[in-house]
Amino acid sequence: MNITSYLALAAILFSIGLYGVITKRNAVMVLFSIELMLNAVNINLVAFAKYGIFPSISGQVFSLFSIAIAAAEAAVGIAILIALYRNKGTVEADKYNSMKG
Amino acid sequence: MQSMSDMDWGIMAPEWVIAIACALLIVVDLFLKNTASRRWIGFLSLLAVGMAGGWVITQFRHKSAMILDGAYILAPYTLIWKIILLTGAALVLLVSLGQEKKEYEPHEGEYYYLLLTAVLGGMIVVSTADLIGLYTGLELLSLSSYILVGIQKKKNRSNEAAWKYVVLGGVSSAFILYGMSFLYGLTGTTHVGEIQKQLSQVGSSYEAYVYLSFFLMMVGFGFKLASAPFHTWAPDVYQGAPTPITSFLAIVSKSVTFALVLIVYMAYAGPYGEFQEDMIILFMIMATLSMIIGNTVALRQTNVKRMMAYSSIAHAGYVLVAVATGNQILIPIVFFYLFVYLFMTIGVFAVIALVAEQEKSEDLKAFAGLYHRSPLLALSMSVFLLSLAGIPVTAGFFGKFYIIMGALELNHIWLIAVMIVTTIISYYYYFAVIRQMYFRRPASSDPVRVSWPMKVAIGISLIATMGIGIMPQFVLETLQSLLR
Repeated sequence: MNITSYLALAAILFSIGLYGVITKRNAVMVLFSIELMLNAVNINLVAFAKYGIFPSISGQVFSLFSIAIAAAEAAVGIAILIALYRNKGTVEADKYNSMKG
Repeated sequence: MQSMSDMDWGIMAPEWVIAIACALLIVVDLFLKNTASRRWIGFLSLLAVGMAGGWVITQFRHKSAMILDGAYILAPYTLIWKIILLTGAALVLLVSLGQEKKEYEPHEGEYYYLLLTAVLGGMIVVSTADLIGLYTGLELLSLSSYILVGIQKKKNRSNEAAWKYVVLGGVSSAFILYGMSFLYGLTGTTHVGEIQKQLSQVGSSYEAYVYLSFFLMMVGFGFKLASAPFHTWAPDVYQGAPTPITSFLAIVSKSVTFALVLIVYMAYAGPYGEFQEDMIILFMIMATLSMIIGNTVALRQTNVKRMMAYSSIAHAGYVLVAVATGNQILIPIVFFYLFVYLFMTIGVFAVIALVAEQEKSEDLKAFAGLYHRSPLLALSMSVFLLSLAGIPVTAGFFGKFYIIMGALELNHIWLIAVMIVTTIISYYYYFAVIRQMYFRRPASSDPVRVSWPMKVAIGISLIATMGIGIMPQFVLETLQSLLR
């Protein structure tokens, strides 16, 4: 397999994630999209670790770290969303607009 | 390759102090009765931060060293960063302890140890030279601050601010990580020093990827620094967060991101030519936009915390001017500016916290007639604001002056022009607060109550701001001699 196909897959996933964060109105979908962006990076790291110019194990180690951190980030994100839902009663992200200036 | 037990773990002592204190406080908080006061957890956190700071100071005598295969570095510059972070954290803790009615009452315990984990993350970032360490430290800082911003669970604004912060923070982390993955892919290593060596060899044949990795990381850093055009989250988050946390974001998070920018800069600073010029142009664009947008939009803010958010965007721009020049000589000036910024910002936010608590309003009008109610408080607020504005012969003025002189040597005339013009614009909104304090009638005549930790925090900030204003050359020379 050629490395460019892995990189292309990662780039497409990253772009889909970014598009989702910008356009989705449902707050849960926004969190999913962030997750998608982080996982795209993991594909990149693992592909480089195996087929890169200088293959080495540290890419796989890096991806393990990033998976763990992404999980923590999702947990914090969901917790904040639940608190927000309790106060506002909605998960529509564009209703979260009480501050202006 | 050293074995784990041969390593000199002692050089990590400041981090160990914070980590152990944090773990202990979590357990203590768990076993404490729900009704028990958790105020002393704050004092213990303060003690831990103080001990770590003391240890860092003794380490200046230690010669430079590294452990964990160069992933953890002890060098003068890492120590200076840590002093900035720990001083900031200590003052934020004092301000938090000084608030009479806590905005986050049932979660007071977690508030303090989350501050500790946040500082720990920052300390890891500044003392590592490995992409994995940088990312992990940055995320430890970010995740802790997401929770801290949203710690007032019942308050709508706090929740909303936390939501915006977690989404934008997550996106920026993804951008930074994506950029790092390309950097790793090009060089096969995660160590910044080796990346630099490898890049100077293979960089020119994969130029597109080098640029891509740098652009991706700059977008992420732009978000974290709240520099324009990636600043849109900052006003909302600064307004919604508890006031001490707002100052924490403005000082500690921002300093850590500057450290990160400088470390990543090193990776690209190989003998590999034109790329650096393009990098500098990118920084210059960000600096210019931040100064212009920050200072002009601040003009029409009526909420003081929001105004300070725009002011902090502008200040990120000033520091970016020094970073943009990409010159090692300017590093002591960056440190100088961040020190000055630390003290004056903490001071301003401490006064804002006091006034907002008393008046139940963060509006500019809450400051009306403060001079007639508490002259000393109004006077110290004026010193901080004048210093932030950069009126001649204040600490803030010398910070800007050194940056301008540094940029002048490297012939960035445009940047200097923008900096001077926007600084003059900024006088207007800083003076708006001063005008309220001296020339408006107070709604009530009773003085603002100031608790003793607040007095200590404001006092330290005041002495430091005035002290640096009186002998800036001494401070700068000390920084330069430490870095040599």
